[in-house]
Amino acid sequence: MLDSLSSSLKDALKKIAGKTVVDRAAVEELVRSLQRALLQADVNVKLVMQLSQSIKRRALEEEPPKGMNVREHVLRIVYQELVGLMGGAGKVELAPQTILMAGLQGSGKTTTTAKLARYFQRKGLKVGLICADTFRPGAYSQLATLAKKINVPIFGDPNEKDALKIVREGMKHFAGAQVRIIDTQGRHALEDELIEEIVNINEIARPDHRWLVIDAALGQQASEQARRFNDAIGIDGVLLTKMDGTAKGGGALSAVSETKSGIVFVGAGETIEDLERFEPDGFISRLLGMGDLKALAEKAEEVIADGDMDVNAIMRGKFTLRDMYKQLEAVNKMGPLKQVMSMLPLGGLQIPDDAYDVTSTKMDRYKVIMDSMTNAELDDPQVISGSHVQRISRGAGVSPDDVRELLKYYRTMQRALKGMRGSKFSMQRMMKRFGKMQ
Amino acid sequence: MFEGLRNKLQSIREKFGTSIRDAAGSDVREVEKPVEAPSPAPQPETVSAPVLPEAPKVAPAEPERVVPAPVKTVPVEPKKPEGIFSRVRSFVIERELVISEKDIEEPLTDLEMVLLENDVALEVSDAILAYMREDLVGKHRKIGSSVDDIVSTALRGALLKVLGDGFDLPAYIDSHERPVKILVTGVNGTGKTTSIAKMAHYLMGQGYSVVLGAGDTFRAGAIEQIEEHGRRLDVKVIHHQEGSDPAAVLFDTVDYAKAHGIDVVLADTAGRFHNRKNLMNQLDKIRRVVKPDLVVYVDEAVAGNDAVVRAKDFNDLVGTDAVMLTKADMDPRGGAAISIAQTIGKPILFLGTGQAYDDIVPFRPEAVVDELLGVEK
Ligand SMILES: Nc1nc2c(ncn2[C@@H]2O[C@H](COP(=O)(O)OP(=O)(O)OP(=O)(O)O)[C@@H](O)[C@H]2O)c(=O)[nH]1
Ligand SMILES: Nc1nc2c(ncn2[C@@H]2O[C@H](COP(=O)(O)OP(=O)(O)O)[C@@H](O)[C@H]2O)c(=O)[nH]1
Ligand SMILES: [Mg+2]
Ligand SMILES: [Mg+2]
Repeated sequence: MLDSLSSSLKDALKKIAGKTVVDRAAVEELVRSLQRALLQADVNVKLVMQLSQSIKRRALEEEPPKGMNVREHVLRIVYQELVGLMGGAGKVELAPQTILMAGLQGSGKTTTTAKLARYFQRKGLKVGLICADTFRPGAYSQLATLAKKINVPIFGDPNEKDALKIVREGMKHFAGAQVRIIDTQGRHALEDELIEEIVNINEIARPDHRWLVIDAALGQQASEQARRFNDAIGIDGVLLTKMDGTAKGGGALSAVSETKSGIVFVGAGETIEDLERFEPDGFISRLLGMGDLKALAEKAEEVIADGDMDVNAIMRGKFTLRDMYKQLEAVNKMGPLKQVMSMLPLGGLQIPDDAYDVTSTKMDRYKVIMDSMTNAELDDPQVISGSHVQRISRGAGVSPDDVRELLKYYRTMQRALKGMRGSKFSMQRMMKRFGKMQ
Repeated sequence: MFEGLRNKLQSIREKFGTSIRDAAGSDVREVEKPVEAPSPAPQPETVSAPVLPEAPKVAPAEPERVVPAPVKTVPVEPKKPEGIFSRVRSFVIERELVISEKDIEEPLTDLEMVLLENDVALEVSDAILAYMREDLVGKHRKIGSSVDDIVSTALRGALLKVLGDGFDLPAYIDSHERPVKILVTGVNGTGKTTSIAKMAHYLMGQGYSVVLGAGDTFRAGAIEQIEEHGRRLDVKVIHHQEGSDPAAVLFDTVDYAKAHGIDVVLADTAGRFHNRKNLMNQLDKIRRVVKPDLVVYVDEAVAGNDAVVRAKDFNDLVGTDAVMLTKADMDPRGGAAISIAQTIGKPILFLGTGQAYDDIVPFRPEAVVDELLGVEK
């Protein structure tokens, strides 16, 4: 479903790509598939409507800048509008501060509290955690267990029912800490008493930040909930959690637009280390279910280098170790292969996962091994027999298994490229891009 | 719950009514008829859905109907609240009518917007629209049919189709060998553990004995959480330590139930994402060890489109027999209920409507549709 959606977006983009002038029907079709993609990603319906209006208007009214084709022009507008809506990443200072966590039940506040503690601890700041969730069974032991894992002190009392008292005492207790993070119980917009509780906590603690924790799967409720929290305590940042699932996080966009704040961190896993700074570009790509728009534009230009990889030969099925060597070098410059490939609008192209599975240390080793090969071997890896493997491994100072692993990787890549030739997307265009990258 | 959707559906129904009346042209007559029940409550907040030009389009219309004579529009009166034996106005058509796709294109688009805004997933709202189209388009409508009936019957049918059947848990328990083993699954933080406590409370209220299995051995504080529920409800909780094998704890729980003649085993599991292969395999192993009678999948009413994706994966990978939908108190829309039910074609067992043990409501599709359509009993 999701894939078919993003591919309809890609189809619409393809149609636009063929045009030399901006064509109303094509733009409308594009905007429609864009709408569906955003709705599917749980972006607020009204926001989606506003957004698509202005994208349509700009696409039709604005002249494409010189040297930009229609497709790039429209994509750029889509990208700019989305970035405008998102307002960039929320700020984090590595300074003394108090952070108040707020959010719906089960959104990930406690886990994220521990992740943040880890983040600041790693930056060398002294952290103290206050457990102001006096309601949920096991809330204290959850936070205490997590805090213990990273040796961060926690203040709280599983038998105390008064959250305000805990906050009052906790703030005193951690007067000497640099970063104080207050975990609170979950609450929602319709629970007036609980909203009042967090208003009071906010007054007592006078936190520097009030961050709203949003589950990536949150649907159309996001706007309303965010509005209520914002009215109550003034939200100045959004923490987006559970991005390791399949949800797109459109609710966070609604929350950001409602609170006029930005996404600060993204949680993508259940362990304490699974916290990342927010990256607008990757987020937009995921929302739309297509390659990283901005990165595609920027990186493709950066790395246009010596195009001496024989694209035509590869298209005929001749992909030698030499080609792979160049490819590894280029990839080294650009980041992981998977990321590079995901930036290309390749449609439904299937590339086996193990083709991506090269770490940079492995890449370096591969290059060393290839340096020990003869020209004949590089041009035609078929000739490499058992004794060749022994010689190469001795020359490169690696084990024969390493050499065999390289050859296996080569065959995987070769197969992947062959598979591409058979598929229906334009091989020509793909290889041109591929070549351009090298 | 469902108020938001209900209010909007009311205005959508009126739009369908207007479109169909327009299609019938002058051949529509206004009648008043006495009714025995109070008429539906007035809907003050009949906000119209955004009617936007580039809203997702329905399939192309079939041009088949003769264009009607200039429309004699009848103003859509807000229905006044009237007492029992009041009279409501309605419209009946006075010639045979075949509604075409084009006649209802606009209200269908509006309906789609309303459904989406209320968290009905895109593909599910597509399905509802398809049912509506199937029911309304191309069929002969007899002279004397009421426009409102045509519309409500179609909408009611479409909603019932997507909501599926209900599930009577006490009846199920009574007709099965004890202990009845219920395994609870779902992604992180949806309310599995709380729902287990609520189900225990509900079942004890119905006279059944229960035991809880602390099968979440992964999350920090999870065992303490379910133990605390056990203490408060005075229910036995079988647990091992954090990090131990969940299948083993749950196996012991079933053993305990057998040895003590307990009626129902409620087995908790750690939340996990459907895209984590190893965790889903682990859950499958748990299922093979526990051999549950029912796998209850828990998700929350505020989840958006991902609800459909994960419900489907859980169903495919470990199987789901019934669904519990939590946090319905957060969201008066309830669209996710509709989505999940439609997607996996499994009955919704309970709604969770708050954090107290009493906040659990058996789910009855007929009643939900009545509520959505403003029918009062
Ligand atoms: N996979 C995944 N799980 C997460 C993430 N963040 C939190 N969780 C899980 O989601 C569940 C709820 O997280 P909590 O941190 O307890 O959420 P909370 O907001 O404190 O919940 P309450 O205190 O009950 O309102 C737990 O099972 C967490 O392990 C994440 O980024 N990815
Ligand atoms: N408002 C509301 N909160 C709920 C409901 N069900 C569960 N919760 C809360 O959601 C949070 C996560 O619940 P929990 O049972 O720990 O989820 P689990 O991780 O799936 O076991 C807790 O704070 C619960 O109190 C409900 O129906 N309504
Ligand atoms: Mg918590
Ligand atoms: Mg749990």
